[in-house]
Amino acid sequence: MSYKIEIEDLNAWFGNNHVLKDINMKIRENAVTAIIGPSGCGKTTLIRCLNRMHELVPGARISGRVLLDGRDIYSDGVDPVTVRRRIGMVFQKPNPFPMMSVHDNVAAGLKLNGMKDKQRLDKTVEKSLKLAILWDEVQKELDKSGASLSGGQQQRLCIARALAVEPEVILMDEPCSALDPTATAKIEKLIRTLGESYTVVIVTHNMQQAARVADFTAFLYLGELVEYGDTSTIFENPRNKLTENYITGKFG
Amino acid sequence: MSRLIDTGLEQLSRLLFKMGDLAEKTVSLSLDSYMEGLEVQDKVRVWSETLVALSEQVEEKAIEIIARYQPVASDLRIIESYMKIAYDLSRYGRYAWDITFIYKRLNVNSADCMFPSLPIKELKEKVQDIVHTSIEAVRKSEIDLAKKIGEIENEVDAVYYECLDKLVEQDRITTKCLITNLLFIRHLERIADHASYIGESITYLVTGERISLRGRMSNES
Repeated sequence: MSYKIEIEDLNAWFGNNHVLKDINMKIRENAVTAIIGPSGCGKTTLIRCLNRMHELVPGARISGRVLLDGRDIYSDGVDPVTVRRRIGMVFQKPNPFPMMSVHDNVAAGLKLNGMKDKQRLDKTVEKSLKLAILWDEVQKELDKSGASLSGGQQQRLCIARALAVEPEVILMDEPCSALDPTATAKIEKLIRTLGESYTVVIVTHNMQQAARVADFTAFLYLGELVEYGDTSTIFENPRNKLTENYITGKFG
Repeated sequence: MSRLIDTGLEQLSRLLFKMGDLAEKTVSLSLDSYMEGLEVQDKVRVWSETLVALSEQVEEKAIEIIARYQPVASDLRIIESYMKIAYDLSRYGRYAWDITFIYKRLNVNSADCMFPSLPIKELKEKVQDIVHTSIEAVRKSEIDLAKKIGEIENEVDAVYYECLDKLVEQDRITTKCLITNLLFIRHLERIADHASYIGESITYLVTGERISLRGRMSNES
């Protein structure tokens, strides 16, 4: 197994607020990596640094390096838009484009990238919806508004939209926090499947979710990476007392 | 701040400690009575059955905690270890009970089958020691006591094989007496094995490492 992303001495700030401190972490290719930790520990900031979304916030900055396939995504001449195409993101709250149909939601990124051939677009939409395990439920209603789907379907639509532009890495920021247990179970199964052919990084508050879906788990506390390793080790026999106390609910 | 899971874990500990006390009492009564040729079958059977019932309660409680709280890390290790230990303690009871009907089953007089040259008393005392140490290790979750179990286990094995060798060498021993002694030392050896399993569970509970405390003897195949 090789590493898709290598984070080196990463620090991040919002103004004077130092939110990530000297993070060093290697993320395996074609595996699911979960980032857990209490609110405000820097989980979301960390994944937003992985596709250059952190810098979109006024006053936000970083230092350090994030290597994607060995190349620093922050080096001169790297187009953040290209980075974000290679590293897609799914957010906490399903956010389909409300005025667009199911089909167009998935096709949006492709159109933005200049794809005009309707047949190719249709094929890619179908493929992406199938990958997101949504095709069977929406294939007869592709013209329906994306916003009319259930919460779980909307989130899978957003995953299909992220997959359509053929990313290599998928970042997920608490993708199930707004979903019921059935919808959550479907997304978790999808995450496991995606982890076989994509590098998936998921931020979650739900430790059992990390235990269920992730091959590797990182525990972040007050902006520092406290422990990172096999999910089974983290949840059975964590090496660090802080990790132990957090995952057993003794604080946080 | 106490957590919701803590109440369940405390109930589990209480059940296990209760089992520990009863298991030690059961083994002691059985072994002492065997040496003295006393009849305690009924009492030991009731205690042994109580141990099995308590072990089932531990299992039920453990499953309930897993279902309700999804324990991880040390909480999870406590539950796994306690479930295993509850089983080992119930086995103490079962072997103790088996020992109580050896004489009756074989229809022998206890005094007729005692051979002073066999270090049976020494074996019996070591087994009582290892049982006591295992119960202490459970109560205190102490790694040093788990290590001590490993040491006593080696001594038990050595005396067990000495007993075996001497039994084979006994002249003019009846088949019934041979089986009587053989069953007794075999049950003792099995009790000590379960004490080792308890030591291993305590080690796992405390350190997260799965180790074996059972050393292999050179004359073991």
